[in-house]
Amino acid sequence: MPSYQAPLRDMRFVLYELHQGDALSTLPGYEDFTRDLLDPVLDEAAKICGEVLAPLNRSGDEEGCRLENGVVRTPAGFKEAYTLFREGGWTGIACDPAYGGQGMPKAVNTLVEEMICAANLSFGMYPGLSHGAYTALHAYASDELKDLYLPKIVSGEWAGTMCLTEPHCGTDLGLCRTRAVPRDDGSYKITGTKIFISAGEHDLTENIIHLVLARLPDAPKGIKGISLFLVPKHLLREDGTPGAANGVTCGSIEHKMGIKASATCVLNFDDSVGWLVGEPHKGMRAMFAMMNTERLAVGMQGLGLAEASYQGAVAYARERLQGRSLSGVKHPDKPADPIIVHPDIRRMLLTMRSTVEGCRALGVWIGEALDRQNHHPDPDVRQNAEDLVALMTPVVKALFTDLGFEATNHGVQILGGHGYIRENGMEQFVRDARIAQIYEGTNGVQALDLIGRKMPAHAGRYLRPFFHPVADLIAAKVEDEELGPFVQPLAKAFGRLQQATGQIARGGLAKPEEAAAAATDYLRLLGLVALGYMWVRMVEIALPKAGTDQDPDGFYRNKVVTARFFMDRVLPETGALFSAIMAGGKSMMEFEEAAF
Amino acid sequence: MTAINKVAVIGAGVMGAGIAAQVANAGVPVVLLDIVKEGDRNRNVIAETAVQKMLKADPAPFMSKAAAKLVTTGNTEDHLGLLGECDWIVEAVIERLDIKQALYRRIDEVRKPGSVVSSNTSTIPLASLTEGLSDAFAADFCITHFFNPPRYMRLLEVVSGPATRPEAAEAVSRFADVTLGKSVVVCKDRPGFIANRLGVFWMQCAVSEAMEQGMEVEEADAIIGKPMGIPKTGVFGLMDLVGLDLMPHVLGSMIGLLPKTDPLHAVHREMPLISRMIAEGFTGRKGKGGFYRLNREGGAKVKEAMSLSGGQYRKQIRPDLEILSTSRGDLRKLLASPDRAGRYAWRVLGQTLSYAASLVPEAAADVASVDEAMRLGYNWKWGPFELVDKLGVDWLVERLEADGLPVPALLREVGGKPFYRTEADRRQYLGTDGAYHDIVRPDGVLLLSDIKLTREPVLKNGSAALWDIGDGVACFEFTSKMNALDPDIMALLGKSLKVVGKQFKALVVYNEGSNFSAGANLGLALFAANIAAWTEIEQLVAAGQETYRALKYAPFPVVGAPSGLALGGGCEILLHCDAVVAHAETYTGLVECGVGLVPGWGGCKEMLARWSTLGKLPKGPMPAIARVFEIISTATVAKSAAEAKELLFLRPTDSITMNRYRLLADAKARALELARDYQPPEPVELTLPGETARVALEMAADGFHRRGIATRHDLVVSGALARVLSGNGADVTKPVSEGDVMEEERAQFMRLIRHPATLARIESILETGKPLRN
Repeated sequence: MPSYQAPLRDMRFVLYELHQGDALSTLPGYEDFTRDLLDPVLDEAAKICGEVLAPLNRSGDEEGCRLENGVVRTPAGFKEAYTLFREGGWTGIACDPAYGGQGMPKAVNTLVEEMICAANLSFGMYPGLSHGAYTALHAYASDELKDLYLPKIVSGEWAGTMCLTEPHCGTDLGLCRTRAVPRDDGSYKITGTKIFISAGEHDLTENIIHLVLARLPDAPKGIKGISLFLVPKHLLREDGTPGAANGVTCGSIEHKMGIKASATCVLNFDDSVGWLVGEPHKGMRAMFAMMNTERLAVGMQGLGLAEASYQGAVAYARERLQGRSLSGVKHPDKPADPIIVHPDIRRMLLTMRSTVEGCRALGVWIGEALDRQNHHPDPDVRQNAEDLVALMTPVVKALFTDLGFEATNHGVQILGGHGYIRENGMEQFVRDARIAQIYEGTNGVQALDLIGRKMPAHAGRYLRPFFHPVADLIAAKVEDEELGPFVQPLAKAFGRLQQATGQIARGGLAKPEEAAAAATDYLRLLGLVALGYMWVRMVEIALPKAGTDQDPDGFYRNKVVTARFFMDRVLPETGALFSAIMAGGKSMMEFEEAAF
Repeated sequence: MTAINKVAVIGAGVMGAGIAAQVANAGVPVVLLDIVKEGDRNRNVIAETAVQKMLKADPAPFMSKAAAKLVTTGNTEDHLGLLGECDWIVEAVIERLDIKQALYRRIDEVRKPGSVVSSNTSTIPLASLTEGLSDAFAADFCITHFFNPPRYMRLLEVVSGPATRPEAAEAVSRFADVTLGKSVVVCKDRPGFIANRLGVFWMQCAVSEAMEQGMEVEEADAIIGKPMGIPKTGVFGLMDLVGLDLMPHVLGSMIGLLPKTDPLHAVHREMPLISRMIAEGFTGRKGKGGFYRLNREGGAKVKEAMSLSGGQYRKQIRPDLEILSTSRGDLRKLLASPDRAGRYAWRVLGQTLSYAASLVPEAAADVASVDEAMRLGYNWKWGPFELVDKLGVDWLVERLEADGLPVPALLREVGGKPFYRTEADRRQYLGTDGAYHDIVRPDGVLLLSDIKLTREPVLKNGSAALWDIGDGVACFEFTSKMNALDPDIMALLGKSLKVVGKQFKALVVYNEGSNFSAGANLGLALFAANIAAWTEIEQLVAAGQETYRALKYAPFPVVGAPSGLALGGGCEILLHCDAVVAHAETYTGLVECGVGLVPGWGGCKEMLARWSTLGKLPKGPMPAIARVFEIISTATVAKSAAEAKELLFLRPTDSITMNRYRLLADAKARALELARDYQPPEPVELTLPGETARVALEMAADGFHRRGIATRHDLVVSGALARVLSGNGADVTKPVSEGDVMEEERAQFMRLIRHPATLARIESILETGKPLRN
């Protein structure tokens, strides 16, 4: 079974050297978050993830959750681990200090999320969903509701969920049927069935606060008639402690491909008492407040699993002795060379490594943009950051989870048969990674969001905070003797991206289906260029230090070599994507429906 | 035929004063008289005040300050003698027969023989007006019914009586057409003539049906407006515009004159809500508000509308009528829809079209006159008979019958044939004789839309086309959305210049859109800037410069013929033409600075050249530069072709055409005139002082900034403009070539378009239509 060790060296490089981690404390409200406070947070997170959560990952997968008399039992050790996690303050790390949180910058929280997902994604689901509920409530609930519920959610004593999906309505939430009927006291009675509710029922906390999408009696049809309600599992007593059951029952839990230790529930609401969050019929707005941060978090799940799989694959590739290097024996003292000498093993390992490190850099960039968006004193800077986050949210979600799934598959491949059997834990990463491409809006929906909403908004304004820095970097460094060889491939890929963007924007106005046909390829094209941009910036920092006394452990040298691999072997995929995009959607739309 | 060289207008109310202003706009001297105001020392005060008011009004009745000087004001007691010099006397006094007739008797005493007298009455029959007057007077008398505001509304209804000399009516009609730019529709002497007869019926019908069927005003206007090709003010917005109190007045007079069998009686009913609104001063935009109002109580601006059911103002609603989106472009589908929106649409349009059909031949000789009257008098996109053709006359008759609505003889007699057809490349209408007749354009009218029926374009792409308009002249037409200039237009223009050089004698740049061109496609430019497509943008700028330069030095003459907005790149193309024949209602200017840019397609260069050679300014290069800097940096737009001459967007030698319909023919004639012995212009060399000029211009801009007139980004933009206009480092002793100035234009344009403040300005214009002052 692979042991997980958080890649703290690389995380610090990304946070402080590549991005402006040291400058976070200059933002109003972040004064305390200097490096001497942030570093121990990363260390402690690495510790609890490596020592407490990771060891429960495989056993949790084997055991799964059980539904007993309407109560969900999490796997052995989860409750104890959750208590440690909660007492360590990790449930409130990124929450508002006004409700007992630590208000940690998103740039840092992004890295903590990566560690949790890498160590034990199923476990991470429980606090993750609570945080989603926290976000929606914090943004839209009345002060009264916030005062009653947020402190307990932040402290982790209570958990939260998001109840969106119904048996007949998934992506198209306008079809939602759950009803909300007003009661005399300003509350509502909620009745309906919700499915696929992660952490919908469990034994980790004494109460669960559900956020439920439902329809009021006078609601307009479709998506404009959905409202959001807070529905606790247990109603609160006068003193604020959980009391009587509120008619929320878990009908069953799903048997699924991965994240088996995360309870995925069918929840029945039967005249359950709820309170409106935000305005009537404006539930989608509140839900998107949650959805956007969740989408970034789901992206980090893909990244975390890829890192975990990489660690397992490297360890195996060093130890496994099979055959001899094609360029001559490397370990004559051993019966065979370790498989890490083989080009194809290296191809897979470096594909994993270069995408993982690229995604980490990009993820923290967007986390940091969220910090600027929320805390920077200059409104222009805030707007610019908000635009970048809006553009990159679907990219981070879909690209990271696609690359994560591909990376975990490479991990299995490197172990061969030993990767395919359960014992070594590598196949679990694949199964766990698979869901991240689906939930919080499938990756196809992310791509549509990118080309249909984000690209045309304000005549392309959201594209600016990404396209301009890339263009500026290329213009400044393409002739640079040292950096030039890294910039040139980026320039080529960026040119393809610009051209494809123009084509889709023009074509999409005339024929939306043409743009939709290009969506998934376009998202990946943009995502790969973003990783390429991150890699050039990383090389820019690493090059002067590589091989000098500032590089005793070869960290910077390895960065440069990994960058070269990315530019040579990963980024060229943009050429194929470009060709596919420019070919248009005709060939897929002309096929007769009945002939499928 | 009587030549009209001087005009008199009696009655300086809104209509009379506006008519006088339009005569002056045409460069013809005009006498404007009104009565003596009792107790005022200034006996001309009414007419004088009217002129003063017009000089301040917006939209402006005068096209230039110079025009106002052509108006001689006076009063009807002391100055009636002035009429002796006038060839046409327009009466526009209060709508009272006794007053009008008394005035006519006095006019008849002083007017010169053969001069034409006309009334602008909208409610009194011609027969009554001339009753009891001399035969000579009746022979010289007709009705000329202008629409408000006279400068901007293109319709003129002309009514002759049995005694009217045909030459008299012809002289006035010709003058109104060629000189005043109006489109004349001949009407019979029936109440309300054509446009108001049908227009009032339609409005009355739309209002009463709305009340009966429980529609809200927003809903009614959404149904009546765009789907029927009617301005988006619909009916309630239109009533706010013209004034709620005007309606009962016009309607009352028509009701009084029309026989009981007229369907107008059937739609006419008491409307207590409207009477109450008028009584309380809610007469529309001129009053405290109308069906719509902006409520400023409590500091906030709240858009409100009158609830027809509740009779109270409430917050404006956005109509949620599904059929409007599902029937888009399909009028019949809307009218056939069984929901209340469809029902309302049908009740209003069905009755209106039926009524329109009853007016031929009673009030109008043919259907084409009715359609023209509604298009030009009420700004309908399609006239009623064009709408009937859209629906199908059989379908309409069937529905009218099913609803028990009158089916006029005209609709039955056509036997299912359309009212319009194109036969042998000619547009024809169906006459009351059951035969099709060509729509004959008057001499001197050439329409591209007619030409397009008869032939294929010489060249064409998605944004432009080149047409052969006969006699060796080609016409370049913009066809892009809003006629925005884009790479496709530049490409086709470049290609056209080569083709015209081989196959034609001259080129006219002209189109029949409501605006010539409001400039470059900013949406495209902004998107390109957002994705940092700098090379593409620079190529676009360079391509525009090169194409316009090629147009200027082409071996054949190029004549620009704009109407409506000609802004930015749309102005720059005109600056490069050999001559411009501008419609009087041309609004042109270099507005790039407003969106944080500098003119990049040779506009700076051409304006420098013009002001240094044609501007009547003190000696030396600086005054011209300073004037151009002032015009461009403040994004000055000329509000008429006449004003464009003052700003040198047009040369003194460029001509102005008053009638929109005559623009192409005039431009073509000018092009042919230039084509004789044509020599392309010599390249211009400019003397620019460089650094000293730049510093001077920037100091001037700084001054505006300190006084709070110029914003921070204005300084950046005007700084860039100063570099271009000063020749950026030029030396006053060495001439600067056109190419040098264009290179600097391009460089500064590229510098500015990267600026976030410029991008924010462009975004604001695109999304809100309002300039951002950042």
